[in-house]
Amino acid sequence: MIHAAFLIPLFPLVGFAVLAPFGRKLGNPLAGWIATLLVAASFVVTVLVFVALFRIAPAHRSVTEPWFDWISVDRLRVGAGLLVDPLSLTMASFVTGVSALIHLYSIGYMRHDEQFPKFFTYLNLFVFSMLMLVLADNFVLSFLGWEGVGVCSYFLIAFWFDRAEAASAGKKAMIFNRIGDAGFLLGIFLVFERTGSVQYTTVFARLGHVGTPSLVAIALLLFLGAVGKSAQIPLFPWLADAMAGPTPVSALIHAATMVTAGVYLMCRINPVLHLAPDAAHVIAWVGVATAFVGATSACAQDDIKKVLAYSTVSQLGYMFLAAGSGAYVAAIFLMLTHAFYKALLFLGAGSVIHAMDEDQDIKNMGGLAKLMPITGVTFLVGWLSIAGVPPFSGFWSKGDVLQNAWAVTPALWAIGAVTAALTAYYMGREYFLVFQGQRRWVEARPEASHGPEHGESYTARGLHPHDPTWHMSVPLVVLAALAVLGGLVNLPFHPSLVFLERWLSPVVGATLLQHHFSAGAEWLFALVDAALAILGVAVAAALWRKSSDRPALEPRFLSMAWWVDAAEDRLVARTGEALASFTATVVESRVVDGAVNGVASLVRTTGERLRRVQSGYVRSYALGLTAGVVVLLAYLLVRVGS
Amino acid sequence: MIGSAHLAGVVGARLVAASGITIPHIDYTAILPELILLGGMLLLLAAAALSPRPLPTEAYATATVGLATASLVTSLVLWRDVTDRGPLTTVAHSIDVDGFALFFLVTISCILVVAPMLGAGYLRRERISGPEYYVLALISGSGAMFMASANDLVLVFLGLEILSIPLYVLAGLDHRREASGEAAMKYFVLGAFSSAIFVYGIALTYGATGSTNLAEIGAFLARNVVTSDGVLIGGLGLLLVGFAFKVAAVPFHMWTPDVYQGAPTPATGFMAAMAKAGGFAALLRVFVSTFPSLRSSWQPVVFVLAALTLLVGAVVAVVQSDVKRMLSYSSINHAGFVLLGLQAATARGVAGSLYYVFTYGLVVLGSFAVVSLVGGSGEDRHDLARFRGLGRRQPVIATAFAVLLLAQAGAPFTTGFFAKLYVVEAAAAAHSYLLAAIAMGSAAIAAFFYLRVVFLMFSDAGAAAPAGEGATARAVEAARPAGIEPAGAAGGSWVPEPSGAVATMVAPVTRSAAADARSVSSGVVALDVSGEPPVATSPWILAGLGICVAVTVVFGVWPQPLVEFAHQATLLF
Amino acid sequence: MSAPAVLAAATIPDAVTFALAAVICVVGALGVVLMRNPVHSALALVMTLFGVAVLFVEQDAQFLAAVQVIVYTGAIVVLFLFVIMLLGVDRRERVLADTFRGQRVVALVLGLMVLAEVVLLARTRWTTGAHSVAGPLDGPGSNVAKLGRSIFTTYLIPFEVTSALLVVAVVGAVVLARRPGLGEPSGEAPDEADGASPVGPGASGPGAEAADAEAADAAGAGTAESTAGAGAAAGAGAAVTR
Repeated sequence: MIHAAFLIPLFPLVGFAVLAPFGRKLGNPLAGWIATLLVAASFVVTVLVFVALFRIAPAHRSVTEPWFDWISVDRLRVGAGLLVDPLSLTMASFVTGVSALIHLYSIGYMRHDEQFPKFFTYLNLFVFSMLMLVLADNFVLSFLGWEGVGVCSYFLIAFWFDRAEAASAGKKAMIFNRIGDAGFLLGIFLVFERTGSVQYTTVFARLGHVGTPSLVAIALLLFLGAVGKSAQIPLFPWLADAMAGPTPVSALIHAATMVTAGVYLMCRINPVLHLAPDAAHVIAWVGVATAFVGATSACAQDDIKKVLAYSTVSQLGYMFLAAGSGAYVAAIFLMLTHAFYKALLFLGAGSVIHAMDEDQDIKNMGGLAKLMPITGVTFLVGWLSIAGVPPFSGFWSKGDVLQNAWAVTPALWAIGAVTAALTAYYMGREYFLVFQGQRRWVEARPEASHGPEHGESYTARGLHPHDPTWHMSVPLVVLAALAVLGGLVNLPFHPSLVFLERWLSPVVGATLLQHHFSAGAEWLFALVDAALAILGVAVAAALWRKSSDRPALEPRFLSMAWWVDAAEDRLVARTGEALASFTATVVESRVVDGAVNGVASLVRTTGERLRRVQSGYVRSYALGLTAGVVVLLAYLLVRVGS
Repeated sequence: MIGSAHLAGVVGARLVAASGITIPHIDYTAILPELILLGGMLLLLAAAALSPRPLPTEAYATATVGLATASLVTSLVLWRDVTDRGPLTTVAHSIDVDGFALFFLVTISCILVVAPMLGAGYLRRERISGPEYYVLALISGSGAMFMASANDLVLVFLGLEILSIPLYVLAGLDHRREASGEAAMKYFVLGAFSSAIFVYGIALTYGATGSTNLAEIGAFLARNVVTSDGVLIGGLGLLLVGFAFKVAAVPFHMWTPDVYQGAPTPATGFMAAMAKAGGFAALLRVFVSTFPSLRSSWQPVVFVLAALTLLVGAVVAVVQSDVKRMLSYSSINHAGFVLLGLQAATARGVAGSLYYVFTYGLVVLGSFAVVSLVGGSGEDRHDLARFRGLGRRQPVIATAFAVLLLAQAGAPFTTGFFAKLYVVEAAAAAHSYLLAAIAMGSAAIAAFFYLRVVFLMFSDAGAAAPAGEGATARAVEAARPAGIEPAGAAGGSWVPEPSGAVATMVAPVTRSAAADARSVSSGVVALDVSGEPPVATSPWILAGLGICVAVTVVFGVWPQPLVEFAHQATLLF
Repeated sequence: MSAPAVLAAATIPDAVTFALAAVICVVGALGVVLMRNPVHSALALVMTLFGVAVLFVEQDAQFLAAVQVIVYTGAIVVLFLFVIMLLGVDRRERVLADTFRGQRVVALVLGLMVLAEVVLLARTRWTTGAHSVAGPLDGPGSNVAKLGRSIFTTYLIPFEVTSALLVVAVVGAVVLARRPGLGEPSGEAPDEADGASPVGPGASGPGAEAADAEAADAAGAGTAESTAGAGAAAGAGAAVTR
């Protein structure tokens, strides 16, 4: 059954291949259904392969499925093949599972969109790329998937490209990702240079011969790639802007799957990190800093999706904290549960946005819980889960991360713990502002209502918020269930309950620093975590249940995300622009243009000259031919003579 | 063929009795692919002559595709035999059926499968009836096959002629366009000239080594250390000129643009694919497997040829405004890449060249097929401007063309990428770094003109002209066909007298300099096309294009089988 | 074969015969090219072919020499003459016009250089005195038998494959000589070349295109209908000029 693994990426690829040319003909909703069913089929295959892999003895649970030699030049041998092991399959299963649900949701969400088939074409291509990234057995093929998801992300952020903000957000995402990709590429080059291979298994087997400085460099370069893709400091601002894309895209790509690719990469290269602890510390500190900055920024956002975006940034920071602490299982555990509850929250937000007629400002909402019971309840589940309230899944996964951070240094734990409380707080703020309190949308409806980036003026018509169609609510319910129960895969109470850890141990076991505390310490950690979460929830309830206007709690530097974007804009973009304009006016026009135009005009004039030779007369051609013979024979004559 | 060979056998049996001649054993299965093509060709001719009503061109196309498929299957079966049991040599060692030959047999069969599909629609549109296109293609293919499996210089020469003469005729197939007749005439005269040089080369080689058989020549050279043999070297040089002419290597390329442009477009594609397949088959075999000991003499020559071919092909293509002519120059550029593999003269290099020839064959067939579609009835719309906005008007065709052009440019995920990669890699491995650098430089230059067409196709014509003009475009378009029809009908004046043909030599119509005068000096197409007649496709051409694109993409993503094939073919020399 | 080589290996009478025959061949060949009257050219060709026949005799290939005379001079050149006569001998072509100044001189120089180079290359040592694969022509056995043996053994496949060449010659001749099919409207073509001659690639297209473009431009400010009219007019105009 493991040999069927090739079907996992094949189904979405088939979807893309069918929808790209015929999508328009298949139309709405058939195109969406085809895409959804293919991804669902992919999920089914993943589960089957998962089961098959589970039956193999743990020591042999790393199966390479080579397809063919893809590029072979000199020493470089790049194969195309899959690496089926517990890590890649765990990723693949939640990627396909969550994707299938979000595809289904999108059929409802996008049903009025003219570009309906195109949307699903991109989505299928995205799923294919993501699966290639995850399942590839070598760095190059992974990089291909990595670029593929980047491109799809660009297409999908800029899906409504006629909106200026969407188009520029797409560009921004692309550019930030390119910075990271450069690091990734350099990392691959260095890996190949040092180990002579790009195949994961071979590379890891040869790490013993690589010096520590090289390993640190490799780890940090690959981490730079991860920073770009997973929106860590300093490359996180694009993720907030990426919310200009359709909400299912935000849920799938910018919360559940693509942005976790960086974390996956870090877990994949765990043998490297193990041998380069300095790099691992960098990763942990960048992660925790991002978690804190993201969480504080989320506290002051008004856009329902931006709160979630910064929350994603923050949660990704937690995952890097875990990976940097050597707790890869915790990282994957959090990634898994995060995928459930964050996708759930985004889909809930999408449902709310639909109900509010495309208004995304939480200050204009309120009191929706009664009108949209399914959305309200599921969102509540999502909130409690992300907040880390026991027994929801977030409690277990976040607790796992924080414990391991403590094992590295208590400072990491402290920042993480504060961030955990903040998480509970800002999500509580969002929940109360949206679902509780007064129905501000009733009176605040006309002009002033919409978010700053919504230029189109509001038609003053009555809103009747209601729960969405079944396409949209089924995924909500399923994801809510998963968000509640997700913790079951790795319960800390007893060694027999840590399924995920045992499952992943063939991949990360050798390098795992997963710390196990005494039962008492574990209980203490759990209590503190729960207390922090409840504290956050309580503060949010106290402050935001009745009121929607507390400017003191929303300082501008938080709503501007610590001015990181602006600072980067000032420092990097402006200097870059100045440099660019200098280059454009001086270097480009004088030096480069001169060279390029010189070459171009050289080519052109040479071409024009050479073309004159083509007189069209047979006689001239014969003459030319003879001249060629003369020269050739003359050369041979000289050779023979000498 | 079979009949006459049998006759020879019967006569031979008597001769054996009379004078002790032993008729060489003929392994008919070994030459079955050629026999299928030639026999089928005769049947096709007979059917055309005997049928009371003229058969539709599609009937001939179907038959040709069938024959080519049969020869493809036979070649593959032979491939299996050869990989199992080693190369076959038959008919007094004149024919070598080894892996190398079979690779080309497969390549040629593939070209022959696709070419009729791409030609049928064109022939119907241009109202060229009769089986000639197909018959000539089949003969030409058999000639190329003989060149590929020939183990004797005489047979190489005959194969060359059997390959070339149908191509001359194909170039002149369209009577209505004078350019077509002129192309045929030019190709014929220069081809004859180069053939004469080639024969002279054979004569000198024979004089120097005492045999025309490649194996015997090889054995002779292995036995005798040749220190300074001017006759042999001279013969080698002249052979190289003959081949270089056939594969259009600079400076023996000058016929190419004129002939490619003048010939009917599907014939041009066929010509480019087939002549390169046959020419490179014999070139590689003769030089790499027979004259490896003289490598130090011919490698520098091939180096210069390759460098010139790469550069001239790319540089002159840049200034072309006519897509058909541009592709002609690009085919010269491609020949340079294949020469890289020859210059390396290593197993890797030869494998790279084989891969290149196979992939290029299908790519160029498809490319010219699209040009023939866009060229429209009468074949006068090959200007760059005609391709503007094709992506909107004909998304499928434009996408196919884009894929093929990207393959020619060497973009990843197409066969073109790996083709270029392997030959350049082989050149670098053989320490021809300068040549490898030149090749990459020329690929960069070439990318410009391929991508220009791609961008043009997908740039919105309406972006330049406001919406109002779009409406006028449609209005003009509606008005066009009335004016277009006579153009196709009165498209040319074929002067039937032989002297007329000579006249075209005297005052060529395709005065290339004049034709090129409307070049795009700034890279921007000046000609504004306000309306385009719809591109008339047919299922045949779509199927053919589909095959070309599918092969290009599938083996571009999954190159291993083809690479293995080429590699094994090289090992089974 | 080049002269010095033969000279080196041959006796004086052979050398003289070779030189004479070679001169006959070359003069004949020049005559074919230079004669203004096609009939004269054909006759000059006979001279060359005779010279070749003499060379065959000199190499003891009497049978080949006879075949050369009978087939080439007897049959093929006569066929040429028939065709020339049928088409009329009065046609003169200015084939020798230079495409650029001094072309003929350059051609002559290059041709002589090729010759010189081949001679110089051949001057160096022969590697082999090996006899041809068919065996020595002056050895035992008749000329015909040897030729037959050669054709039906060593060169069997080339001999057979030549038949394909003959087929393609027939097909090619039919294709190229056939007039455009009856009932196809190209009969009125010849005298239409009044500037809009479609013979040059793209020569007619751009003309018509420019007309259309002009029409479209002219009516750019007007309504779509008027443009359509103008376009139609331009199209019709183009059709009429053709």
